[in-house]
Amino acid sequence: MFRPGTMLRAVAILALASAIAASTAIAQGFKRPAPTAADWAALAKLPDFTGVWEISMGPRPATGIINPAIGVPSMRPPQISLTPDYAAKRQALLASAEQDNQSANCLPPGMPGIMSQPYPMEFLLTPGQVTIVIEAYSMVRHIYADGRPLPDDPDPNFFGTSIGHWEGDTLVVESVGFSTQTEIEPHVPHSDKMRILEKFRLVDPNTMSIETTVTDPEALTAPYVTSRFLKRHRSWTIAEYICEQNNRNFVDKSGKAGINLTPPSDTSPAPKQ
Amino acid sequence: MRSSIKRAAFGAVVLAGLVATAASIAMAHHGFAVFDTTSQKTIVGTVKEFQWTNPHTWVWLDVPNDKGGIDTWGFEGMSPNFLGRRGWSRNTLKPGDKITVTYFALKDGSKGGAFLSFKRPNGEELSMWKGSPTEDN
Repeated sequence: MFRPGTMLRAVAILALASAIAASTAIAQGFKRPAPTAADWAALAKLPDFTGVWEISMGPRPATGIINPAIGVPSMRPPQISLTPDYAAKRQALLASAEQDNQSANCLPPGMPGIMSQPYPMEFLLTPGQVTIVIEAYSMVRHIYADGRPLPDDPDPNFFGTSIGHWEGDTLVVESVGFSTQTEIEPHVPHSDKMRILEKFRLVDPNTMSIETTVTDPEALTAPYVTSRFLKRHRSWTIAEYICEQNNRNFVDKSGKAGINLTPPSDTSPAPKQ
Repeated sequence: MRSSIKRAAFGAVVLAGLVATAASIAMAHHGFAVFDTTSQKTIVGTVKEFQWTNPHTWVWLDVPNDKGGIDTWGFEGMSPNFLGRRGWSRNTLKPGDKITVTYFALKDGSKGGAFLSFKRPNGEELSMWKGSPTEDN
């Protein structure tokens, strides 16, 4: 004999269980089918992004490439049009005593800053995915190019969630779901509504162009567009970068920057008699 | 002598350019707030240890002081990742090497700074801020 209370409890447990199953399904998301031989063969028809690339540095950083579609890249970031709220937030950051940002404490920059580090990155193409191995801070970006949609309510994180597709020879990547711990540029904050659109393509056999468009309905009054060029280095490999290995820089809670000068062995020779 | 001054001046120009470039690309790890970047200094000493580590290399230099003793100075350099692609290795500096270090001093007067370049007694010089790596694509 079932008492009504037991019945209700059973229904409630069932409802809870199916709710958990549903939320798990959302979290797990898209299930990519196993790649076929045709999927692997199709990769050969894509532009060759393989290898290690680095933003051109030194006296001729822009490499003199003129591309009418994107123009000559400026080494100076373009003007950022902020909403009054975010302009005030930026002013507050600039006016603070902060001498450095948290990367001095080895907190890695997220998007979009991680894509403009003075260190190389490697592009890996596999069926349905582009993986970017970033040397700075030993980071990895996963770009899902298998037809899955962007998540509706992503967990905010440093790199966001990225999906990509190919438009001809251009890899178009959309990313959403960013932690507000990251910045658009140093001391330029954004909201959790920030979206980033990136277009990757080869402008010559060993030069990649990346055009990045940041939009944010709460922080920006106009899209913030930057472009940069990367050179391929066929003889390079990605090295490790463990920031905590020997980090002697720091920024304290008040924003003051400092440096730890304790010698590694801490056995300075005794003064001569 | 004159040519080395010229080279040093050229180095300062290249460095200023790189700092400007770095500022607009992205600050990789930290800013220069603790260093006095308005002038370069030099100091002579003996390498005690060369740390080939991230996020920075460190050159520890034993320098005689005016009390007849020895102080160990610390100089922060570019990362092994950056230097390894520009002619440096973990064996570039060895304990016992006598060198003259050119550096940006720490603003608070501590015994250390930002390593810019060094010179050996035989005149060999090496900068941490050489320009672009060789093209190899």
